[in-house]
Amino acid sequence: MFRTNTAALLRRSTVFAQNLSVIFYVNLKVYFMATNYKFKRLNAGRDYIADNYQAPLSLADIAKYSYMSPYHFLRVFKDTYGETPNEFLIRLRVEQAKKMLITEKFSVSEVCEKVGYTSLGSFSSLFLKQVGMAPTSYRRKLWALSTEAYRFPSQAIPACYAYHFLGKLAK
Amino acid sequence: MITSIAHATIYVLSQDEALDFYKNKLGFEVGDDMKVEGGFRWLTVYPKSKPQLQLVLAEPKEGPMFTKDSAEKIRSLIEEGAFGAGVFETENCQKTYEELVAKGVEFIQPPKEQLYGIEAMAIDNSGNWFSLVQR
Repeated sequence: MFRTNTAALLRRSTVFAQNLSVIFYVNLKVYFMATNYKFKRLNAGRDYIADNYQAPLSLADIAKYSYMSPYHFLRVFKDTYGETPNEFLIRLRVEQAKKMLITEKFSVSEVCEKVGYTSLGSFSSLFLKQVGMAPTSYRRKLWALSTEAYRFPSQAIPACYAYHFLGKLAK
Repeated sequence: MITSIAHATIYVLSQDEALDFYKNKLGFEVGDDMKVEGGFRWLTVYPKSKPQLQLVLAEPKEGPMFTKDSAEKIRSLIEEGAFGAGVFETENCQKTYEELVAKGVEFIQPPKEQLYGIEAMAIDNSGNWFSLVQR
């Protein structure tokens, strides 16, 4: 009796599972088609930021490239990339500024302008917040550590790589 | 407790050519591209949705860790396809496969159902194998 019931129950669950997997598969296909399209549009907005980070950018302008409302773009961007469009823009600008400060002769004001900021004060305080030191201190400190002009010191990269490729351990 | 992986290395034959492949064909973004003292180029790329994991594209060269002989051996092993670059995830393996084929990426296996998902296998322009998996 128990065995028969179990077998019947098993059969019923298998049929149920099969039906469920068909529904799941169809929904998954529709979901992927939709997300793929959405991802492409979102990527277009993100690429627009990456290509124009040195220009003044507004959320409304960027969202247009993704054919989304600014608020929707902001939310989907954050969900997908783990950072807001503004956080992404700041990251790009600060990384570029770090590179320019070390490998170029530009003054801090020139760097500020070249990475898209109009106010030296707001650039400097943003840099300080992100990097932990002011642009001039960053340049002075890294230049002093490097044995070559306009090159990052080995301490700027993870020590296992510095040792592996340069034979230098951070002091 | 270790919480995540921040950097992993892929040995490549040429950083310039690998950068072109990972950026323009696979659609990765450049993380760092820095000139470091000693002539070393610190080059990292990452998939746009995961800036937390950077792939270091490095050339095996004679230096503190490699003798000239071992650097050459590693280079020839890369070309032979002895190394794997790992597993890249996609939300639609078939579609990504078609996009990458159109961009000229060489595949050694088209999308196929596996126990862990749909997987295609490709090769980068140095010779490293990698999987493209849809879970």
